[in-house]
Amino acid sequence: MANSKKPGGLREMLESMYSVIALLFILVACVELCDAAAAVDVYRLIQYDMSGSPFGSRFAALNHHAASLHFPPGVDLSRTVLIIPLRELNITFVREYINQKKPLGGLLVLLPEVLSFKTGGNNQVHEKEKMKNLLAELERLLIHSNIPYPVYFAFENDEIDTVLADIKKNDLMGQPATATTGGYKFVIPTAEPKKVASPTMTNIQGWLSGLKTDGDANQLPTIAIVASYDTFGAAPALSVGSDSNGSGIVALLEISRLFSLLYSNPKTRGRYNLLFGLTSGGPYNYNGTQKWLRSFDQRLRESIDYAICLNSIGSWDNELWIHVSKPPENAYIKQIFEGLSNVAEELDLKVGLKHKKINISNPRVAWEHEQFSRLRVTAATLSELSVTPELLESTGGLFDTRQYVNETAIVRGVKLVAESLARHIYGHQGKNIQIFADESSLAVNPAYIRSWLDVLSQTPRVAPFLSKDDPFVMALKKELAGHVDEVNVQHETLEGIFTFYDSTSARLNIYQVASVTFDLLLLLVLGSYLIVLFSFLVITTRGLDDLISLFRRPPSRKLKTA
Amino acid sequence: MTMFHFFNCAILTFGPHAVYYSATPLSEYDTLGTSVKAALVYLGTALVKLVCLATFLKVSENDGFDPYQELLKAVIGFIDVAGLYFALTQLTHRNISQNHKFQAVGLGWAFADSVLHRLAPLWVGARGLEFTWDFILQGLEANANLVLSISLAALGSLMWLRKNKPKTLIPIIYACAGIVATMPSITRSVLTFSIHGRLCNEY
Repeated sequence: MANSKKPGGLREMLESMYSVIALLFILVACVELCDAAAAVDVYRLIQYDMSGSPFGSRFAALNHHAASLHFPPGVDLSRTVLIIPLRELNITFVREYINQKKPLGGLLVLLPEVLSFKTGGNNQVHEKEKMKNLLAELERLLIHSNIPYPVYFAFENDEIDTVLADIKKNDLMGQPATATTGGYKFVIPTAEPKKVASPTMTNIQGWLSGLKTDGDANQLPTIAIVASYDTFGAAPALSVGSDSNGSGIVALLEISRLFSLLYSNPKTRGRYNLLFGLTSGGPYNYNGTQKWLRSFDQRLRESIDYAICLNSIGSWDNELWIHVSKPPENAYIKQIFEGLSNVAEELDLKVGLKHKKINISNPRVAWEHEQFSRLRVTAATLSELSVTPELLESTGGLFDTRQYVNETAIVRGVKLVAESLARHIYGHQGKNIQIFADESSLAVNPAYIRSWLDVLSQTPRVAPFLSKDDPFVMALKKELAGHVDEVNVQHETLEGIFTFYDSTSARLNIYQVASVTFDLLLLLVLGSYLIVLFSFLVITTRGLDDLISLFRRPPSRKLKTA
Repeated sequence: MTMFHFFNCAILTFGPHAVYYSATPLSEYDTLGTSVKAALVYLGTALVKLVCLATFLKVSENDGFDPYQELLKAVIGFIDVAGLYFALTQLTHRNISQNHKFQAVGLGWAFADSVLHRLAPLWVGARGLEFTWDFILQGLEANANLVLSISLAALGSLMWLRKNKPKTLIPIIYACAGIVATMPSITRSVLTFSIHGRLCNEY
């Protein structure tokens, strides 16, 4: 009895040991390797399709050696990542590479740290204009090209600067990094980018009711103030659009705040309704505004006296432009323009009028007021831009950061719009009455503008990457709700000619690798070391004859038996 | 080529042990059992040393050279010697000559030391893409440790297994054994003093 139990127990113990060993092997194989020389946050170039044609960078994963601009000429770069700091960027070089479809493993552009909204702070930018022009040109080139390799942006910091200096040194010595010569390897382990399924646009509208007396049978007239809040840029994770259109949003919020103060008291409530609209889909021919307007019922649309759209009012000196689509001789347009220029004169600034006819058959909508005009609502856009922007231009790109916006410009813009609106509402046209005078309780609040501008300058707002319940959109809604009577949120799908792909930011791992030749050499050295050790030990312990006998075949036995 | 590098460092760290076993007459006399037993004794000794170090040693805030701590570390090093004594004398080995016994015990000791101290860092670190010289240095250290262990085992066998020792050599043998046993402490203190000296000279 006792004997039969023992082998069974032993077998059980062996089995449990095997399972423990198997578990150990699995654990050991899963050990994670995180031993990079440096890890950097990088932001990918946008990838989108427009009417089926692909644009932007079509790949996301990266696993190649790195080289700088000092690479020896004639070397093959199809498995190399070029790392270029912005100050050394030559736009013609990049344009040549892209247009001639030269093969490249990847491109990493290093932006100056001061442009980063996470670490740059509010330091001033040196050579503002030059950097702005260079970035604008680079962005225009990259957005409208089809690039078959990954393109990433990163901000310079100490780690990556030392890596870059090292790479340059190696390149100047004529040894670009490849598999056989060692060097630095850039690895970004992300999955293949997928299409963003049904991207949403969220329009937020706020309604401030006017004072309805008993005698009014009809609906009160409405004035609309609209600004689009989303952006589009070369690096969607960096498109904060401080000027385009952060300045517009901030101005709209401040105007709503001022009028909510006026309208809270029935004695000062005007006989006009005010409709505030924060629309999405701005860069895509103001698609969101169109859908928002289409959702109005006929009576509301007919009751809109006029609409003022705000677009980029953050970095102007003395001149603003009013863009209209109806001819300037039109009575309503004249009224709006005169109202604004009267106030402008008092504020010591100039407003000019620009007329651009709309072509109904052309789907291109360059200004927000055109969407109103297509539905026969009088509208105008107030902007610092004098030239009509092209598609996907002036929509908040790489250079549109906090440092390029001047909050006093926004304050003056708010004053201009608010005063002219108030004069129209209360019937003070032509009279020199300052409702929103400085030092009064209705003064424009620069601190409010500054704090909202700072928040906006740290939030990238590319519409397809904003979910339905994105916290920023909710915050805008909440802020507007604090100033108006009623807030409505409308979700629409961003259809049409644009398709977007995800994967906008990643983490770059930089490894310093040894070349294959080094490993082979090491193997050779170790092999010879072990052979020498073996022979030494055999000779000292068993004698030289034994060593020689190892290499001699034992004498054949057949001879003996025969 | 990261598994390649791991393979290179592995053969540098563990190769000499295998070569030693196969090259010398140890393989002919099949002394593997002795080596395995010695490895297990090393494991036990390491655990005891760990417990003692944890109990008696204080963690110093500054990286200064504390002679009291170093002395304590050297004393705990003698637990190594005790373990070796146990392996050489107390374990029942088959009939193998003394000559081969100390070699087998030393080999098993060194192999266990390499596996316990160097296998895990090698597996985790050498397989990554990043290249450092650390693992090659570690392999060289393993080689030196092999020589040290075998010499320690040899001295040990001279001290405890040989019944008729020449009188004059006894003190020399014991002195050598003492030095070899405390070798790690000696190398560490020499290194610290030389660095101290160089730093003082710089000022």
